[in-house]
Amino acid sequence: MALPWYDIAGAWLAIFLTMCIFSFLYGDNPAYKFAEHLFVGVSIGIVVSEQWFGMLRPNLIDKLLEPSGPRAWLYVIPLVLVLFLFTKLTRKHSYLARIPIALMVSAFAAVKMTGEANGNLMVQVADSMPDLAAVYRTTYPHWIWNWDMDGAGVLSSLLVIIGLICCLVYFYFSVPHTGPLRYASRFGIWVLMVSFGASFGYTVMGRISLAYGRVLTLVGMDRTPDEAAQIHAPAASLISTVIIIVIIAAWRMRAPPEATVIDDG
Amino acid sequence: MNWLARLQHLDRRIIFLLMGLSILIPVLFPLPMSFEVDERVQNLYQAVERVPPGSRVLISADFDPSSRPELEPFFRANLDHLFRRNVKVVVVSLVPYAPGLVSPLLRVYGERYHKQEGVDWVYLGFKEGKELIIKAMGANMRQTFPTSYAGVSIDQLPIMNGIKQLKDFPLIVMVSSGSPGTKEWVVQVQAQYALNMVSSCTAVQTPDYIPYYKAGQLLGLAGGMPGAAQYEKLVGVPTADAMATRGVNVLNLGHAFIILAILVGNISYFASKRREP
Repeated sequence: MALPWYDIAGAWLAIFLTMCIFSFLYGDNPAYKFAEHLFVGVSIGIVVSEQWFGMLRPNLIDKLLEPSGPRAWLYVIPLVLVLFLFTKLTRKHSYLARIPIALMVSAFAAVKMTGEANGNLMVQVADSMPDLAAVYRTTYPHWIWNWDMDGAGVLSSLLVIIGLICCLVYFYFSVPHTGPLRYASRFGIWVLMVSFGASFGYTVMGRISLAYGRVLTLVGMDRTPDEAAQIHAPAASLISTVIIIVIIAAWRMRAPPEATVIDDG
Repeated sequence: MNWLARLQHLDRRIIFLLMGLSILIPVLFPLPMSFEVDERVQNLYQAVERVPPGSRVLISADFDPSSRPELEPFFRANLDHLFRRNVKVVVVSLVPYAPGLVSPLLRVYGERYHKQEGVDWVYLGFKEGKELIIKAMGANMRQTFPTSYAGVSIDQLPIMNGIKQLKDFPLIVMVSSGSPGTKEWVVQVQAQYALNMVSSCTAVQTPDYIPYYKAGQLLGLAGGMPGAAQYEKLVGVPTADAMATRGVNVLNLGHAFIILAILVGNISYFASKRREP
């Protein structure tokens, strides 16, 4: 099926803007700045339109303009609270904005507190003390360390308990970390470092995945073969690269030397 | 200046170039590479398999362009899996950038499996309010999302008949990249309503969510692109559509390059230190 011209133009624009952003790896330049500013503007535009069509209009404006039921007048209250928020723009009446802000903070704090206590604290504390007898039964005969079950076993369960206690000791500042506490808190740091290392490894993986997504767009492999044949993504990437090189070259020739300093190291 | 000292002053753009090549080469010349499915993804797959055909599953599709390469493959494979099993799909989003990505995909997969909008699938769109919306859905789904993304009243959607709150769904699938996402779903409603939940999340979030899986708050977890690739393998997504499976090659070579760069950087640093007078 033939793609409409605007789909092809959109794909070419996406490739050009991707190359503009990648040009920052060479150094700050006008092509990058253009893409960066466009990104910020479009992002804000999307958020504003989604907020209007998804939230404000159906939940407030429509209900005020087409009231249904005897309690429809109650929607005036959130409208007034919204208007109060805008009083922050004035010095004389800015105190009014405290009312909706106080409501939002209190509601959010209440929701957070109950949720965290219920879902994060209670369940996790209960689970941090594993039933070693049950672990032994489920992992037998490799009950010490079972490779087939992601390292599950009595050893890893004990490591969880010891690691948790040592991490808590590290953050316990009411007594000096001397004697046995010193060793426990030192082990707690090691456990924390291992967890930071795991998080960093996952972060690297995430960043490579993002780069992979962009590369797929640049070579046209994020589309069906039929669409890719119409878009000619590799050609668009090549042309975009040439355009950006010309832009950077022209900028370096025209701008005064201090404005074109590019970090070479 | 010896070669070790020269490595210390290597232009960072050479590293960028080599990193770029380590991503581009496996994309253009993929190597046949096998991988194992881990227990978390296997359990996620089984949780979807246990949903009876004809019932309705809620997907919270909360990904945006920046997390698309990691999460869209899972979302696609999940739609494949659910539609193949004739499970109906209700989709919501809690991040504002999601509708532009989610809505066209639902349409494509709906057409591919000859599913009717409003009967077999529906997109209820984005709603601002973060955790408050999750909490509100737990109490009353119909008040929280009175209309679909297409503007149809929820009362006129056959797929929503009998759905009042979250506990009416036998399974909730979260495809989340940040906040609000999996954490907020688990914390706000999982324990309160005893909901069956599975999650696909970005690689960065995976270590944070593993405790939820270990504690049984999540029935399954697919972390980042490797998790999506494993799920694609279980679902049997055709090679041409399996974006994450193709990406495993890239991850392998990319990681190998980063490990090599860290090793070379450290060796050259310590070696040049020893040579200093």
